[in-house]
Amino acid sequence: MTEGLSGDFKKQLHEIVGEQFVTDDPVTRFTYTRDASLFGGTQSALVVRPGNTDQVSRIAALCNQHRVPIVTRGGGATIYGQPKGDPDRTVLLDMTRMDRVISVNTESMTVTAEAGIILGKLVHACKQKGVYMWSPFAPLHMVSLGGWISGVAGAAGLWTDLISITVVLADGTVVKTGGGPGTNVHQPLAYNRNLGGPDFGGMLIGDGGSFGIKTEATIRVTKNPGKLRAAIFAFDELEPAMELVRLHVERRPVLRFDPVLVFGAGAMKNFMGETDEVAPFTVQAMIQGHEDAEVEARLATMNSLADQCGAQRNFMLDAMAEAMGTPTGEDSEMDWMAIFNSFGVPAWLPFNLPRQGFAGVYNNLVAWRNERLKEAERLNLRVRTTWEFFTASDPSTIVGEIDVFFADVENPAAVTFARTLMADFQKYAHGLGSIDVYNQGFMADLNASCWSPGFRRLFEAVKTTLDPNGILNPGQWAGSYLSEKEGSNG
Amino acid sequence: MADNKFRELDSVRRYIYSCRTCGVCRYKMSGKVPYVCPVKKASPGFENFSSRGKIMLAQALLEGALQPTDGLARAAYSCTLCGNCMTQCGATDQDTGKPLVDNTAVVEALRADLLRERPDLVDVAYRRVLEQTRQYGNPWGMPRSARVKWAKGLKLKDAQKEQADVLLFTGCTMSLNPELAERAKKAAVVLQAAGVDLGILGAAEPCCGSVQKRIGDTGLAAEMVASNITLLNGLGCATIVTLCAGCCNMLKTGYAQEEHKLVPKVYHLVEYLARLVRDKKLAFTKEQTMTVAYHDPCHLGRHLGVFDPPRAILKALPGVTLVERAATRENTICCGAGGGMRLFEDGAYAQDMGREAVQAAREAGAGALVSACPFCETNLAAAAQGLEEIMPVYDIIDLVYDAAGLSGL
Repeated sequence: MTEGLSGDFKKQLHEIVGEQFVTDDPVTRFTYTRDASLFGGTQSALVVRPGNTDQVSRIAALCNQHRVPIVTRGGGATIYGQPKGDPDRTVLLDMTRMDRVISVNTESMTVTAEAGIILGKLVHACKQKGVYMWSPFAPLHMVSLGGWISGVAGAAGLWTDLISITVVLADGTVVKTGGGPGTNVHQPLAYNRNLGGPDFGGMLIGDGGSFGIKTEATIRVTKNPGKLRAAIFAFDELEPAMELVRLHVERRPVLRFDPVLVFGAGAMKNFMGETDEVAPFTVQAMIQGHEDAEVEARLATMNSLADQCGAQRNFMLDAMAEAMGTPTGEDSEMDWMAIFNSFGVPAWLPFNLPRQGFAGVYNNLVAWRNERLKEAERLNLRVRTTWEFFTASDPSTIVGEIDVFFADVENPAAVTFARTLMADFQKYAHGLGSIDVYNQGFMADLNASCWSPGFRRLFEAVKTTLDPNGILNPGQWAGSYLSEKEGSNG
Repeated sequence: MADNKFRELDSVRRYIYSCRTCGVCRYKMSGKVPYVCPVKKASPGFENFSSRGKIMLAQALLEGALQPTDGLARAAYSCTLCGNCMTQCGATDQDTGKPLVDNTAVVEALRADLLRERPDLVDVAYRRVLEQTRQYGNPWGMPRSARVKWAKGLKLKDAQKEQADVLLFTGCTMSLNPELAERAKKAAVVLQAAGVDLGILGAAEPCCGSVQKRIGDTGLAAEMVASNITLLNGLGCATIVTLCAGCCNMLKTGYAQEEHKLVPKVYHLVEYLARLVRDKKLAFTKEQTMTVAYHDPCHLGRHLGVFDPPRAILKALPGVTLVERAATRENTICCGAGGGMRLFEDGAYAQDMGREAVQAAREAGAGALVSACPFCETNLAAAAQGLEEIMPVYDIIDLVYDAAGLSGL
């Protein structure tokens, strides 16, 4: 037992979750000081794996009573790190034991699940029931539902689908926001979040876990699209490629069934032979639907739009499109992880920008990255590959990445460089109007540094009201990562 | 810079530093992969029970961030070495095309360094196995003479006295466990019925060294490998057929890495029988009406890629219907006996894993489970006994023997 927490406190936790789900073993705690990021996980005095909302409620009440900080962890799959925690005081909640799918309602078209469920499992469970829960593909499939709702602004597209969130406040109060029985929206079934009062469900999205601990959520689903077709077009310049994106997204407000993905040459080289010519920009249109005639018609429209933009095609791209239009199996999202992990030490360089004026900003970002790669070369750090990719998440917004992967996995200098590159890139991109979607670790600090005084006051008022003792994810939004520059190595 | 005392870990540092700790090994899930790690499922599920957690710990040891403790030993030995985490990870070395992160090699190295540097931290149950090996030449502490009992009444060549084309390598577990030994006898009878020129080593048959290597005594295992290669090469046989998946993996891979290499070609019984069936040297005359699921032993399936031969045999047996569990072939979930798990926590985790395997077979519509490894069969049978509805567990040779209409054991 660490010095900061009493034996009686630990005994009470045993009574709540069972002795086997509480540990102060230093080795076990050590494994939570690291995560998928280069920025590090959380130090803690105790790690607890709660099994249901009631247990989380009782843990929160106990911690609040003793002013013990709680850090909540889902899949441990962040890219910017987590609250650093206190090795003598922090209770780390590993939420992944709460991974049950509570219901799939194919009449009302909703799925309700515990927040510790990993998105890959939830998506699979939905597919098994013939429904489709939209989620971005890997590496996000290792993320928990609660982590996704808390740690990603707008839950990267899930925000419109989230109908209800069950959250445990710092004092143990269980609140169900949004639609459905027992919420602020009087509904026999959960079907709408935005009626019956302020959208407090929205307030909890992207809060970094500061306002409460998510334990359950209800999400809207659609019928699983059984048909998939793809088309791939090449462009020598970014502008006509962006014109194709514009023509596509201005026609339809929701793009989940028809994403258009733009890849840079660096990314495409990973799919081509060494001697193959790679176009500077490649646009991939993925078209999903329920009927052959439906997807064929939309494919024809896409081909027509591409022609208007002067798109090039060739046999190889057509063959790739044919292969992509033939689903290879349900694990395909997960298989992306294998590809990324094979590349080496990643410097993830994501951005989120307005579509208007995007091309100019994108060129600046890539130029900035390429300058930094020259620096890496001077340091003898071998770049395995680069990966440029973006998509229109809605008619107004472009999200994407211009990642770099370093081959020297055993070289600490490569890890340090990658981490610094990530931090510096976000600071630079912020200056160009980008704000990354991740509200975690380093990035939460950077985002918070841009808050207006008015918004800061609102945030602090909400935080103080919901968590007067400041026990939930302390340090989140506080600038601790920025003050230490790159943070600690994971 | 690595501390010299962790030299085994240092030798696999490439694997350790290639892991991106993304969590695929902890969380992957699909129709074919209901879960990845059976230990994580059977345990309280903290990170140290997952593969990425163990790799984090291995890295911490190399970097001096942690020192060996009871908790570290517990993490190191809470692994079946099944390799499903490696399969599901899927990351590939861009230069060699091989798996980028060999998690089983990392855990074996972790155990080896712990056992050498801090044997006091390693559970006495594992150390007893090693002591028994030194004393009796087998991990189970049985007298060497017991090894030949199974062959009583059979006319088999003593391979040390008479040259035979094929050496039947029964392995310690199959030959020394009275409940399993009959299967060695059945294998010998079937092979002889197919006209195979067969020899055995009897009481002189050595332990292959697999168990010792998995526990982490790399020095003892290396000694055993060296002397065994001399013995086996001296027999003049062209082929060795093993009954145990662990022996097969050890002889095929552990003996190939030495400069002093094993000369005879090694097959598991299922590989050899499948060839005999294909070449019509085995005739099946007796019908057995049963629906079975085949449990791929990790050593034979995931580690050696032997998936089709046992299925080809089962499909050739009259009246036998083969069904597949949701997680099968390379996605098979370990039975629970791998990596010494039957010694961990008094076998409680192994028992849970065995029950899961049996339950999955029942869900697939199987009335019986068939495997090709005495470790799997022992654990699965024990787990099946604990269920309300008992499921019979067979070795594939049981079905082959009956289908061939052989008798008289």
